[in-house]
Amino acid sequence: MITHEEAQEIAALDAIGAASPDEELTLHEHLAGCAECRRVRDEYAEAVTLLARGLDPVTPPAEVRERVVSGDASNVVDARSRFGAGAWWLATAATLFLALWGWRELAMRVEREKYNTQQAENRRLAEENVRLAQRNDKLSAEMAALASAGTRTISLSGQQASPSASARVFLEPEKRRAVVFFYNLPANAKDKSYQLWIITSKPQSAGVFDVTGNGNASITIENLPVATEIKALAVTLEPRGGVAQPTNTNFFVMGSSSL
Amino acid sequence: MSTSVDSASALIPAVACGDIAAFEAVYDRYSGTLYALLLRILGNAEDAQEVLQESFVKVWTTARMFDAARGSEVAWLISIARSKGIDKLRSRKIRSDRENDAGREISIQSSFVDKTTGADNAILSQERIAVRNALAELPEAQRIALELAYFEGLSQSEISERLNEPLGTVKTRMQLGMKKLRDRLQAFR
Repeated sequence: MITHEEAQEIAALDAIGAASPDEELTLHEHLAGCAECRRVRDEYAEAVTLLARGLDPVTPPAEVRERVVSGDASNVVDARSRFGAGAWWLATAATLFLALWGWRELAMRVEREKYNTQQAENRRLAEENVRLAQRNDKLSAEMAALASAGTRTISLSGQQASPSASARVFLEPEKRRAVVFFYNLPANAKDKSYQLWIITSKPQSAGVFDVTGNGNASITIENLPVATEIKALAVTLEPRGGVAQPTNTNFFVMGSSSL
Repeated sequence: MSTSVDSASALIPAVACGDIAAFEAVYDRYSGTLYALLLRILGNAEDAQEVLQESFVKVWTTARMFDAARGSEVAWLISIARSKGIDKLRSRKIRSDRENDAGREISIQSSFVDKTTGADNAILSQERIAVRNALAELPEAQRIALELAYFEGLSQSEISERLNEPLGTVKTRMQLGMKKLRDRLQAFR
């Protein structure tokens, strides 16, 4: 923000074309909301013309007047076309129009791209929000399972397919819920999924999961069979998405329930 | 002078309405002043005539934009011609040529034959003398700085270089000079 005095000092320079671009911008911002400084600016614009009004007039050659004012007004344009290098002003107008049109189109395209980018970002953030909410729910469930006084643990040990692997099941019998943490499992192929089986009278799927990088994973199981019916838990590698019943007995981890 | 408009202050609004006679009257009244200005800026008769014609084309096409509340019609016309003259000067980069043409203005002016009416001429001459007196009251350093900006389109820094004076000094001189011109303005309204 500048004061009125500062604005009027710049207006003096602006009137004579000597204000810097920054000064012009500052001035115009001020003038937009200041009628008094606009009046002063107009006075400076008038005053500077005194420099020209003090010159001795020089009558231009008669042919100039002839070209400018002879005939009707359209000759003004026609005369300029004859006098100059072609229809310069039409070309200038066309160029200006195209420039403005091009600028408008460019500005609209930029705005569209900004809008699309913003929309994509909004979608990404919404998806991220859902993912984080799910993760939060999962962590809350895991924390609850770990902290509950009635929680029992079951250890699963690595089998022939993956001797160094292990898993620990935190089971809440009252809520028929369990959280299972897996360690050191080999990363599964993209077309495969690990599948956890709860073995009662027969295997029941407790969910599928993937293992990447560090070989660790966890899943939360809801609506478990009654704890006393659980005889064992085991993990097999199955077609991606899981199957209704195990397709093989090549267990990666397995453990018996002592409940 | 043949025009359907008697009042000088109403010429431009009449031009805006398509009044050819008013347009001719504007040319007859002001072309000498504008041509002198363009000669001073461009230092070249051919360029000055071309820009003068361009200026009057702009007068015809933009007369509707003239606002008498913001200034006089002569100031509006001068602003158009000056702007186009400086544009021409810059586009052709003829500043250095212009310095070589020093003195041409005198020979051009010697061929001056004023076509304005006797009454107009007398009024304009009186005004011109008064303007010159007002300009003469400006300290020379301020007047030179203003003339370099106005007639040569130089920026503050270019004037500073040309005069070998600090930028701040040039800026102050120009602001003081403009204030004095504005103070004198009432006498010519």
